[in-house]
Amino acid sequence: MSDVNSVAGVDLDRTWLGVAAEVWRRRPGHIERAATRVLRSPGLARALLTTPSLVVPWLIASVVVLGAGTAATFGSGAPWVPLMAPAVAAAGIAYAYGPGIDPAYELSRSMAVSDRMVLLVRAVAVFGIDAVIGVVASAASSSAVGLTFGWLIPMTAMSALALAAATLARSANVGVAAGLAGWAITVVSTRAATGAFTAAVTSSLLTLPYAAVGVCCAVIVVTATRVSRGSA
Amino acid sequence: MNVELTGLTRRFGRTSAVAGVDLRTGPGVFGLLGPNGAGKTTLLRMMATVIAPSSGTMLLLDRDPGSYGPRRQIRRRLGYLPQALGYYPGFTVLEFVEYFALLKEVPSTEVSRAVASAVERVGLGAKAHAKLRTLSGGMLRRAGIAQAIVNEPRLLLLDEPTAGLDPEQRIQFRELMRELGQRATVIVSTHLVEDVGAACTEVALMDAGKIVFHGTPTELADRGAGHGAGDAPLERGYSAVLAEARS
Repeated sequence: MSDVNSVAGVDLDRTWLGVAAEVWRRRPGHIERAATRVLRSPGLARALLTTPSLVVPWLIASVVVLGAGTAATFGSGAPWVPLMAPAVAAAGIAYAYGPGIDPAYELSRSMAVSDRMVLLVRAVAVFGIDAVIGVVASAASSSAVGLTFGWLIPMTAMSALALAAATLARSANVGVAAGLAGWAITVVSTRAATGAFTAAVTSSLLTLPYAAVGVCCAVIVVTATRVSRGSA
Repeated sequence: MNVELTGLTRRFGRTSAVAGVDLRTGPGVFGLLGPNGAGKTTLLRMMATVIAPSSGTMLLLDRDPGSYGPRRQIRRRLGYLPQALGYYPGFTVLEFVEYFALLKEVPSTEVSRAVASAVERVGLGAKAHAKLRTLSGGMLRRAGIAQAIVNEPRLLLLDEPTAGLDPEQRIQFRELMRELGQRATVIVSTHLVEDVGAACTEVALMDAGKIVFHGTPTELADRGAGHGAGDAPLERGYSAVLAEARS
């Protein structure tokens, strides 16, 4: 939609393009440059740090959930909020993997940088921030240690389970179902084993299994994304 | 051949949106015509690797998009403008186009020039720093076209690209399509037969999930000679072919 102009052998369009490219060039910030180095992908780094429809709500949700859980635990000692948090996070991640949340979902499905990899990276980033908040809270108060390890790690495991299921099934609903079912089974089975309904978030014996589930699911997602068959 | 489709189908439940399409095409501008619900958008979405076919084979840029590696290579050289363009309202035109340039893995050293070129080619240079939420429908469409061409695609899929453009912009856009079609395969789904007549070297007409005509715009116009409803030769050809296919 542009005309080719030349004056005295100078291609004005070409010259202007060079000027515009320089004037309009965006200079990535320190964090984006660091993320690019770590992820080895400018596209992933940009998607991680700039997609407003996903990153900001997730960060806000993390702060709200962590804050509410801390307040509830300090206020009453009842671990109901931490008990529910993993399910909420699992549902959130699975639904973030869908057309209803991301306005550019259709376009993102046709991009060379896999949308699943973008989602995985976002999830890892959110959990990383949650972990930092949890560790800071633990340093400030010893009572927050149990909160962090009894809550954040189960949340990570269940969300990773939801993500892995959504990736393999290519369905957000399947991911939600898997996350919720996984958490329900965990709660019921730990109650059967210990007699305590809240053992799923209070038993330190479960920390390692939760971590193992999280790591395994992350591996599944990465593997499935890299070698998956089918064109969708 | 940049596009080779054989027996391609796509079902949604019991409905066959695309029912056995065979198509081969190389560089040039290819018009995809058809009534609403004919399957044009579904066919484009399959070629854009957004959805998988239910059956049949598809080769894009000589690669099978069913495997991850080739699919990624295809997507690096693919441009796609969906019928309903989703966008982030808080992004500027430059940010929007750059975002998709990065997701298409345009090399970092080439991104800024590629973005500037795409934005200028669609005539949005004066609005480069404008937020998308402030743009008119026609300008948003042009921003969508800019993201589609930012990676110099070899396969460009445009679903109703001229919707919302005024007559002057449509003329400019046809010129851009002809220019792009010299190096790439440009497949344009449209209801506007005048766009096909002005810009396309090949045309296919879809109805009920099948291609019922494939040829040049002149051949389509010839099919309407002496019969068919419409004010222009292409319109008469369009309605004559559809009537024949449905009889």
